[in-house]
Amino acid sequence: MGKLNRKLRKWTADMLDLPQDVAYDLPRMTMIGDRQLYIENHRGVLHFSSHQLRLQLSHGVLEVSGADLVIRTIWTEEVFVEGKIESIHLMDREGQR
Amino acid sequence: MKEGWLQRMKGIVTVQVRGGEPEALVNGALQDGLSLWSIRRTSPEHMVFSLTVPDFFRLRPYLRRTGCRIHVTRREGLPFWLRKARKRKFFLGGIALFFVAMYLLSSLLWNIEVRGNKAIRTEDLLAAAKAEGVHPFQWEWKLPEPSDLAKRLAQRLPDAAWIGVEKKGTRLIIQVVETKKPAVRAPRNTRHLIASADAVVTRIIADKGRPVVHVNSRVKKGQTLISGTIGEGANTATVVADGEVRGLVWYEYDVVSPLERTANVYTGETKTKWSLVLFGRALQLTGYGKDPFSASQTREQLQQLGWRGWELPVGRLKETVMELRQERRQLGREEAVESGLLQARADVLSKAGADAVVKEQKILHEKTDNGKVYMKVLLEVDQSIVKEMPLVQMQGE
Repeated sequence: MGKLNRKLRKWTADMLDLPQDVAYDLPRMTMIGDRQLYIENHRGVLHFSSHQLRLQLSHGVLEVSGADLVIRTIWTEEVFVEGKIESIHLMDREGQR
Repeated sequence: MKEGWLQRMKGIVTVQVRGGEPEALVNGALQDGLSLWSIRRTSPEHMVFSLTVPDFFRLRPYLRRTGCRIHVTRREGLPFWLRKARKRKFFLGGIALFFVAMYLLSSLLWNIEVRGNKAIRTEDLLAAAKAEGVHPFQWEWKLPEPSDLAKRLAQRLPDAAWIGVEKKGTRLIIQVVETKKPAVRAPRNTRHLIASADAVVTRIIADKGRPVVHVNSRVKKGQTLISGTIGEGANTATVVADGEVRGLVWYEYDVVSPLERTANVYTGETKTKWSLVLFGRALQLTGYGKDPFSASQTREQLQQLGWRGWELPVGRLKETVMELRQERRQLGREEAVESGLLQARADVLSKAGADAVVKEQKILHEKTDNGKVYMKVLLEVDQSIVKEMPLVQMQGE
């Protein structure tokens, strides 16, 4: 995205009161307690085990840790995770945050 | 994803992935539009997921690319079920037969209901319906259209003013509205009206026919009052003469009225018997023994337990036996004459009809002899004097 493009998008989002995820291609996460997690706008699975799920985002990586994690459903842009979720970390492309 | 019916139709395979890079396999499959669900790790080396059968066959290139090996652990859905069913031919046939039978039986017409008919017999209606091809156990697709059928049934049954046909599942309801017909009148002969007695006409109204006599004219018994032939010369016709003719008729009576009368009189002595009534049977409780009266009359009173139209089969019966005494009574001459006249009037009214009116009464002769009054009474009665006389058709005239 060019700089102008990004600015235009931000301006539109501010003017029209749009949610940020629509404007910036950000992931949207919906969490129900510690048992269900619904992630939109991911870019693929990096790692998956019963206690950790790492997802590629457009900018960075999302790490979900827990126990007995199961991907109930997965589509190209959405994931629906079930299990006992303990933490969610948002990281830069490689480093930590 | 909860497996839906579409997935079940396609068939669901649960596979176990071993070795290689399972994440890459999942990503690659997703990129290509394969849908996977229930992905979980059972151990660090093993991953399990489910997918449909068509997707399963598309998975092969990704397996090769990522170096994974798969092993099917569970098969579900229609394709697998069909394969199993192929071995159970009779079971499958039974299921098919069940559905076929269900369809056939539900497309039969099971019963026909006829509503709203009174004069038209249900059998006639059903016979008419049968002639139109509508009878129980008829195929639904052979039935004519309800509106069409209603029209044709109405044509077959002229007594029905309207017929409605309604189909409710396996039932056919035929609703009938009958025509209201006037009461059938018996055909009447052409006739004259003639006098039933010697009389003086007081009133004549001819509804039909030609009046021949006038008010105050004297008629003999059998004389024509209203003629059934009308018109003149060649244009004569005979009709059913109808009308009202009243006249004064004289009756002469010989009345005998005794001076001594006997009458039954209650003495006032009574005896009461009580009975218990259960289910229409009475059990006498009190008043046993012979009645002490030589002549008596009994009055019964039944009282039944009940509440608001409900009647219990329990009640009591009160019988009152009342003593009678015969009493002789001596009448005066006047009283005897009066009762004799009354008797004569009652007799004449019963002969002359209910609408007769006694205009005048005259005692022509009176004699008291042997304890009786002998009288000759003349009564003048205003009554209908009409009698019918059928007209015999004269042929060739």
